[in-house]
Amino acid sequence: MSGEPLLRVRDVHRSFRTGPTVVHALRGVSFDVAAGSMVALVGRSGSGKTTLLNVIGGLDRPDAGTVHVDGADISALDEDGLSRLRREKVSYVFQSFGLIPVLSAAENVAAPLRLARAAPAERERRVELLLDLVGLADHARQRPTELSGGQQQRVAIARALAASPRLLLADEPTGQLDAETGLSVMALLRGIAESEGVTVLVSTHDAVMMALADRVIRIHDGHLDEQATGQPYAPVPDAR
Amino acid sequence: MLLSPIAVASGPILTVTEGNAPRTFQFTYLAGDGRGPDVTWIAGSAPGPTVTDEYVVTPYQGPPWPVQVGLSEADATELHLGPGDRIPVKDGHGRKKDVRISGIYRPADSADPAWRLAPALLHPVPGADGVGITRIAGLLSRESLPDARLAVGENELRRTVHFAPVPDALTWDTTATLASQVVKLKAASGSSAARDESLKWESRLDVILREVRGRISAVSAQAAVLLIGVLTVTVLVLLLAAGLLVRRRTPALSAARQRGAALPDLGAELTIESTVVSLAAAAVGLALARAAAPGVSWAWAVPAVLAGGVAGPAFGILAAARASRDRRQPANAAARRWIRATGQLRRAAVEVAVLIAAVAAFVTLHQGGLLSVASDGDTGELTGDTILPISAPALGVLVGALVLIRLLPLGARFALRQALRSRRPLAVFGAARAAATAGRALPLLVLVSATALASFAFILGTTVSRGLADGAWSSVGADARLDVGAEAGAATPAVAERIAAAPGVGQVVVAQVTDSARVFSESTLFTPRLVVVDAAAFQRLLATTPLPDAPDLARLRTPGPGDVPALVRSSDGELRAGTRLQLPRDDAPAIRLTAVGTAPSVGGAGDVVIVDAAALASAGLPAVPNTVWVTGPGAARAVSNSGVAADVVLRADVLRAQRVAPLTAGLLRLAWTAAAMLLALGLLGLTLAAAAGAAERWQTLTRLRTLGLRHRDVRWVAAGEVLPPVVVAAVCGPLLGALLARLTLGPLDLRLLTGQAADPGAVLPWWLLALVSVALLVAAATVVPVESALRRRDRLSEVLRAGE
Repeated sequence: MSGEPLLRVRDVHRSFRTGPTVVHALRGVSFDVAAGSMVALVGRSGSGKTTLLNVIGGLDRPDAGTVHVDGADISALDEDGLSRLRREKVSYVFQSFGLIPVLSAAENVAAPLRLARAAPAERERRVELLLDLVGLADHARQRPTELSGGQQQRVAIARALAASPRLLLADEPTGQLDAETGLSVMALLRGIAESEGVTVLVSTHDAVMMALADRVIRIHDGHLDEQATGQPYAPVPDAR
Repeated sequence: MLLSPIAVASGPILTVTEGNAPRTFQFTYLAGDGRGPDVTWIAGSAPGPTVTDEYVVTPYQGPPWPVQVGLSEADATELHLGPGDRIPVKDGHGRKKDVRISGIYRPADSADPAWRLAPALLHPVPGADGVGITRIAGLLSRESLPDARLAVGENELRRTVHFAPVPDALTWDTTATLASQVVKLKAASGSSAARDESLKWESRLDVILREVRGRISAVSAQAAVLLIGVLTVTVLVLLLAAGLLVRRRTPALSAARQRGAALPDLGAELTIESTVVSLAAAAVGLALARAAAPGVSWAWAVPAVLAGGVAGPAFGILAAARASRDRRQPANAAARRWIRATGQLRRAAVEVAVLIAAVAAFVTLHQGGLLSVASDGDTGELTGDTILPISAPALGVLVGALVLIRLLPLGARFALRQALRSRRPLAVFGAARAAATAGRALPLLVLVSATALASFAFILGTTVSRGLADGAWSSVGADARLDVGAEAGAATPAVAERIAAAPGVGQVVVAQVTDSARVFSESTLFTPRLVVVDAAAFQRLLATTPLPDAPDLARLRTPGPGDVPALVRSSDGELRAGTRLQLPRDDAPAIRLTAVGTAPSVGGAGDVVIVDAAALASAGLPAVPNTVWVTGPGAARAVSNSGVAADVVLRADVLRAQRVAPLTAGLLRLAWTAAAMLLALGLLGLTLAAAAGAAERWQTLTRLRTLGLRHRDVRWVAAGEVLPPVVVAAVCGPLLGALLARLTLGPLDLRLLTGQAADPGAVLPWWLLALVSVALLVAAATVVPVESALRRRDRLSEVLRAGE
C-alpha cells in the first residue's frame, strides 16, 4: 500500500437544492485509498456515503474539489471519458443487484465484456473464471429470477469484475440480504480484493461488515471523521 | 301526421282507336279540400254537365252517354285534338265511348301533390298500360263527374281517397305506430279483386316505412360498430393512463400503507378522487356533445366513465397491497412453478373468454346479419342482443391482439438469441430490453387495437365512398342519362345522334326502359324492368364504365329460331336462365322470350329483363326508345343541351346527392372521425406506454451506463424496448383491420347506404393504412430521442438513487 494511491479525493464539495433548502451532502472531503486495499465507508443514512461513491465513480460531478482515479482527474472528463473510465477502470455493485432479468447469469457477467468488445473466446473464458470465483459455476445458465438474493449479488460482483477494473465501488451491497448471506458477500469482496488486486470501496452501516475491511472511513453529515479516517478498524469482539 | 285527403275518381282504361301508336285513355276526377288542383283554361272551358236536369233516364242499349273532359296541352298535342273534338275511344268490350273535349288546361302548379296521383293528366305517360303503350288522361270536373258515372258500367268508376303523410311529422317513434296501423287497415280491407262496394285499403306506406326504418336501423348499427371500436380503445387507454398514474403514486401509496393505512380507506380516497375527475370530465364531454348534437345518447359514455372511475382505485389498491404483502420468491422450485402456472391459468381464462365472445359475435353477425339484429330491437337503442354482433370487429381485434401478445415474447426471445450470437453489444442490450418488456400486455393491446380499428374505420369509410360512386354508376347507368318523354320519343334516335356528335362524348346508347313491365311465365306474372336495347352497343358501354360487364349480352345478338333470347335477373332468383317468358301485346299474340343468361343490374333494379332491340323488332314489336345513356367527360353538357323535353340525370349529381344525404354523410363523417380518433388514441397510448415504462427503462439504461455504455448509444437500447410493440402494431394492426373488414363488412348491409345491388366488398385504402403505420412509427421514432434528450439532464446518481 505504498507509493501513488489509486484513489485521491481532495476537498470535494457537493450540495443539492431542494426547493429553498440547500443540502450539503459533502463538505470538503479529502482522502486517499491505496491500490489493492478494501476500504469500508461507514456512516448513517443520509451521511453522504452514496454521494461520495457517485462522485468518485463519475456518476455525479462535485461542486468543488478533485477526484483522481488511477492518476486520471475524473472531474475533467467529458461524457465519453467517463464512459471509458467506467468501462475500463471503475465498476459498481449496487444494493439492488441491477441484473438484466432475461439474460442468464453468464450473459449478465459478460455484459461489460461485450461493451469492451472482447473476443468471444476471451469473453467466455473470463465469464467462466469469474462465475467459478464467486461460486456460481453451476448456475451459469440460470436467470436472475431463478437465483437467490445472495446468488444474484454474487453475479453482480462477478459482472463488476468482468472488465478487470482497478476500482470497485459497492454501495451497501448487503442491504437486501440477510446477515449471513451479507457476510458471505463481504467475505467474497474481501477475497477478490486480495486475489484480483482490485481496490474496493464499500459503503455500509453494518458494524459486522466493517470487520473485513482493511480500513474504515467514517462520514458524518458530509464531513469525514478525522479521528477514524485512515485508522484500521478494531473488530468488535463478537465479529468473526 | 297526414295531409288532407285527395279524392280520385277514375274510369276504366279505354283504348284510343285512332293513330298508329298504341295509346290508352282514362278520365279522372281529382279533388283535394273539396276541389281539384287549380288550372288555367287556355282554350275552351272547364267540363260541364251534359244535361242540366236533376233527374235523367238513360235508355237501355242507347247511344253512349256523352261526357266532357279537359285535356292538358301535352295530351292534346299527343292526340292532335282540341276543344269540341271527340276522343275516339272504346272500352275493353269494344264499345265506343262518347268523350268530348271541353277545353285545354294548363296546371297552375304542376308540382301540386294531387297531380302525382294521375300524372297522365299532365302529359302522356309511356308504358303505364304495357310495353309501348302510352296513357293519356282527361280531367273531369265536379259538374261532368255524374256524366262519367253514367258513361261507364256499374262499378267501373273507381273511387279512391289518398292519404299522404306529412314528412316532417314522421319520427322514429311515430312511424312504428303508423306502419302498424296501415298494416291493420290493409288486413281489414276487402279484396282488391272483388268488384263490390266494400272498403278497400291499399298502401305501400307500411312497406316504405319498414324499408326506411330498416335503413336507419342498419346505419345506426353500422355507426355502433365504429363507436364500440372507439369505446374499446378509449377504455384501454384509460386503463393505461390509470396504470401510469398509479405507478407514479406507488411510493406514496406504499408509504401510506406501511404507515398503517387500511386498504379500504386508501380505496375510498382514490375512488372519490377518480370519480370526481371522471364525472367532471364526462359532464364536460357530454355537454360539448349535446351542444354539437342535441339528443345524443349518454349511454355510450358509461363504460368510459366506469373505466376512468374504477381503474385507478383498483390499480392503486393492488399497488398498496403489494407494498405490505410479504410475497417473496419461494425457495421451493415446485412452489415457484405453481405460482407461474396459476398466473398462466388466470391469463388463459381471460383469453378464452374473449375468444368465445368473439366467436359468438361473429357467428351471430354472419347468421343474422346486422340488419336483422338491428331491426329486432326496433327501438333505435342498443340492447343486449344487439351488442354482441355489433361488437364483432372490436372483439376480433382483441383476439388478434391477444395472439400477438402471445407471439411477441417468442419473437423477442428469438431476436435476443440471435443478438447474443452477434458481437454488437447494443443489439444484445436492445433485444434484452425488448424481451424483458415484451410480456406487457396492455401497451400492445392498446396499440394493436387502435391501429386495427382505425384501419377498419378507414376501410369502412372508403368502401362506403367507393360504394356510393358505384351506386351512382348503377343508378344512372352512365355519366349521364336522358329520360325522354313520350312526346319526344320519336325523336330519340336523332337526339342520340346529336349527343354523340358533341365534344367529349364517348358512348351513346338508346334503349326503351319500361318499369314494372308485365311479363308472364307459365304460371307467374313478373313486373321486371324491361330494357330493349342494342345489345352490342350496351355491352360496349358496360365495357367502358366501372359497371360490371355482362358477357351474356353477346348471346342476345344470335337469336335462334323461335323465341326471342333475353337476359334475366331477379332478386328472388325466380327469373333464371332457361325460363320461358311471354311479353303480352295489345291486339296481338304475345311475344315469346327465352332467358339465355343473366342480366346486369340496370338502374339498381332487382328484377330485370333485357332484350335486343333488333331481335324484338324482328318478332314484331319495334322499340320506342325513351332512354339515352351517355358516357364521356362531355356527357353532362351534351345531354343538358339536347334540346328535348326530357329529364336529365347526371351521375355526378346523383353521387353528390347521395353523399350529402343525412344517413350517408353522417356515417361517412363518423367513419373518418372514428379513424382519426382511434389513430390519436393509438398515439396517446404509445406515449402513455412509453411514459409508464420510462422509469424502469432508464433505471436499467443507467445501470448499463455504469458498465460503460455511452450516452449516445443509450437511445438505441431504448429503441430496442420501445420499437418492437410499435412495429408489431404498425405492421399487424392494419392487416388485422383489413382482415376484419373482409370478414364483417358483408353482414353490415352497406348496400342499403350505397344503393348498390349487392353488398360491396371491402375496399382497402392502402395509402391510408400506410398512413396509420407511418404515424405510429414516426411517433415512436420521436418518443425515443425526445425521452433520451430529457433524461440526459438527469444525473446518473439521481436515477440510480430513485431506483433503490
